[in-house]
Amino acid sequence: MSKCSYTLPIGPVHPALKEPTMFKFVMDGEIVKEVDVQPGVNHRGIEFIGMRRNPLQVLHLAERICGICSIVHQYAFTMASEKAAGINDIPERAQYIRTIMAELERIHSHVLWAGVAAHELGFDTLLHWTWKLREDVQDVLEYISGNRVNYAMYYQGGVRRDISPEKIPRIKEMISAYRREFQKLADAFLEDPLFKHRTVNVGVLTKKDALETSAVGPTTRGSGVPKDVRVDQPYGGYADLDLKPCLPEQMGYPNTGDTYAKTVVRILEVGQSLDIIEFCLDNMPPGPIRWEMNVNKVLMHMKKAGGEAIGMTEAPRGEMIHYVRLDPGDENVSAWKVRASTYNNIIAWQKMLVGAQIADVAIVAASIDPCIGCMDRVTVVDGETGKEGVMTKEDFYRLSVRKTRRLRRMKGKPSGGGW
Amino acid sequence: MMEPAEADGKIKRLTGEEIVSLFRERLGDGVVDTRVDVYTNGVRKKPFESVWIRVKRENFRDAVKLLAEVHSPLHISVASGSDIGDEIELIYHFQVYWGMGGGQISVSIGSRCPKSDPRFPSVSDLVPGAIITEREKQEFLGVVMEGIPDGRQLFLSESLPPDVHPWRKDEEELKKLEKYIRNVHDEGV
Amino acid sequence: MKLNKNFDRALWAFHVNTGSCNGCDIEIVAALTPRYDVERFGIKLVGSPRHADVLIMAGPVTRAMAPRIKRIYNQTPDPKVVLVVGNCGNTTGVYYESYNILGPIDHFLKQIDPDVKIVHIPGCPPRPEAIIEGAAKAWLVLEELRGEA
Repeated sequence: MSKCSYTLPIGPVHPALKEPTMFKFVMDGEIVKEVDVQPGVNHRGIEFIGMRRNPLQVLHLAERICGICSIVHQYAFTMASEKAAGINDIPERAQYIRTIMAELERIHSHVLWAGVAAHELGFDTLLHWTWKLREDVQDVLEYISGNRVNYAMYYQGGVRRDISPEKIPRIKEMISAYRREFQKLADAFLEDPLFKHRTVNVGVLTKKDALETSAVGPTTRGSGVPKDVRVDQPYGGYADLDLKPCLPEQMGYPNTGDTYAKTVVRILEVGQSLDIIEFCLDNMPPGPIRWEMNVNKVLMHMKKAGGEAIGMTEAPRGEMIHYVRLDPGDENVSAWKVRASTYNNIIAWQKMLVGAQIADVAIVAASIDPCIGCMDRVTVVDGETGKEGVMTKEDFYRLSVRKTRRLRRMKGKPSGGGW
Repeated sequence: MMEPAEADGKIKRLTGEEIVSLFRERLGDGVVDTRVDVYTNGVRKKPFESVWIRVKRENFRDAVKLLAEVHSPLHISVASGSDIGDEIELIYHFQVYWGMGGGQISVSIGSRCPKSDPRFPSVSDLVPGAIITEREKQEFLGVVMEGIPDGRQLFLSESLPPDVHPWRKDEEELKKLEKYIRNVHDEGV
Repeated sequence: MKLNKNFDRALWAFHVNTGSCNGCDIEIVAALTPRYDVERFGIKLVGSPRHADVLIMAGPVTRAMAPRIKRIYNQTPDPKVVLVVGNCGNTTGVYYESYNILGPIDHFLKQIDPDVKIVHIPGCPPRPEAIIEGAAKAWLVLEELRGEA
C-alpha cells in the first residue's frame, strides 16, 4: 500500500443481489487500486429454510429470493424439481406461458436497470421517464397474474393461470406501445453525448477476463462472449425459437465490454423479448396448462420421488441455476443450491472496478445490474493517519453527478436544464 | 444448423454418452457412477443433455482437467454441496459447448469426502470463477478446500462463528446451530 | 418563526433495507415515480437518516442488520415515524425459520424506544397505493406528535 492510498468501504446494504454486498476499495487518490467484495449482510439462509420445507412450499420461498427476478428463480426451481421428480411431460401451453412471463419480467428488469443507471449519472428526468414506461409492463404482469411483483405463476407440472384468448389483445397493445416508445428512450441513452462520455471505456471487462471468471448475462455478452442459456440450452418455449445472443456488434458498436456496450445489449434484449412474447402469443399451442390438476397429487408425487437435477434459466442478469435433490424417504427438499447471476459476476465486478475513478464506481457497479441505489453509507479510512470520515450515499452520488456536470461544462452545453 | 466453432474446425463435439465414455476410459476406476439425462422442450421437442459423473476425491482434479480438454475455457455455473449422512458430497456444475448457438451440455462432476476427513481439492487455479462458490462451501459445509487462494469467510462473516456450518445435518452440528435458529412464528420474538 | 404547515407535510424519507428481497424496494421507488408520484406532495427519499422525518424499512431483520437499524433509528431526529413496508418486516413472512433472521423490525425498535411510532403496511409486496396510504397515516402520526391534532 503506497503512502497516499486509503481504504474505502462501501455498503453493506445493496438490494439487487441475493446477498447485498459490502465493498472495500483500496484507493490511490481517485483511482481504485484493489477491490474486495464482502457479501452476507442480507444473507437470509434461504437454502437452509428450503431444506426444511416441501417442494410446493419452497416455490413461494424461491420466488422471494429476489423481488426483481422472482419469476426466474421460481422457473429454475420448478424445472429442477420437476426433473428430479421425473415429471417430464409438461404441457406445451404451460411452457409457452412460462416463457411469456419470463420475458415480460426481462423487459421490466431491463427498463428498471436503465432508470437506475440514469439516476447514478444524475439524469433523474430519464429515471422518471423509464419508470413511467415500466409501468406499462407492470400493468400487463398484473393483468395476467394478479400481482405486480411475486406472480406465483409456476408450479411443478405447469402454471397456475392461463393466458386466455381474450387477454391477448391487451398484451399485444403493450407490445406495440413499447415498439413505439422504447426507441425514443433508447436514443435518449445511446445518442446522448454525455451518456457516452460517462460510459464509453468505463468499467471495461475484457473478453479474456469474462471467459476466465465465468461471467454471465449482459455482463459477458457486452464483452462479446455469446453465452445465453436461452440459446445454448433452450428450455420451455425457447426451444421453438431460433434465438441468437444479443451482442453490441449487432448495433454497430464493438464488443468492448464497457458500460456502454452493456447498455446496448440490454436495449437489444428488450426488443428481442418483445419478439419472443409476440411469437409465443401467436403460436400458443392449445391444451391443458397443468400436468396434474390436483395439487395434492402433485405433492404426493414429489414426496415419493427421488432424484437430482439442475434447472437453468437465463435471468435478466444472466444464467441462473438451481440444484435440487429429492430423497424418497424425505418429504422435504433434501438438498437445494441456488445460484443467482450476480454471484458469478462478483469476480468480474472486481476486475471492472480496478482502475476506475471513484466518481465512476456508482455506474460501473451498476453496470452488472445490481441496484446500487440503496448503498447506505461509505466510510473513508485515511491510510496514513487512520482517521475515519463518513461519506453518505448522498455524497457518493453527488460525486457522480458532479462529474456529469463537469463534463457538460467542458462540452460547452448550457448548464441547468436541458435534461 | 451451422455451428460457428465447429465450422472453424476447432473442436470436435462429443455427445453426452461420448463424454461419459471418455471419462471412463481416461480415469478408469476413478469414475464411480455416471448418468446421462435427456430432456425435451417446446413443441418441437428439442432435446438437451445433462451429464452426471461421480468420481473419487483423489481423481477430482484430473476429472476437471479432462473436462477442460473437452471444451475450454470451462464455464462453471456453481458448486452445490450437501450432507449425505457420513459423507459430504460436492457437485461442480460445468457447462461445455456454450456459445455455439445451441447444444450446450451440462456436465456435473461430483465427489464425496468423509466427515472425519473433510478435505477437498480446490480447482480455483484451473477455473478462476470457482473461488466464490468454494469459499461458500467452506463456511456452509465445513469442508476444507485444499489450495484455495483466498479462504476467508464470505457470507457468514458477520453472522455466525466460523465453526458453525448451517448445511450440515448431523446432530453435533445441529446442536451448535440450534441456538441461532429463530422460529419466529412458534416462539414469538 | 413558525414555518408554514405545508413544510410539515413535505415528508423526507430515508429508506432502509433490513434484509428484504427487493420486491418492496422497487414498489417504494415506483410510488415515487410518475405513475404514482408522491413527490408532488413533497415526499422524497433523502440520503441520510439525519435529514429524515420518516424511516421506510423493508425486510426481515438479518443478524448483520440488527445493530444497524438501531443505529439508524437513533440518528433520525425526533419527531419521527417508521413505515414498515411488507410482510417480512412486519412478521418475518416466509423466512420465519432461519439462523440468520432475528425477527420483525418492531421488535428491535421497541428495544431502544418503547414509544416508537410504527405504521405497518402489509402485503407481499404492498401496492404503491398502499404505501401512499401509509405515508398519509404517517402525516397524521407526525401531526399528533407535534401536538397539532
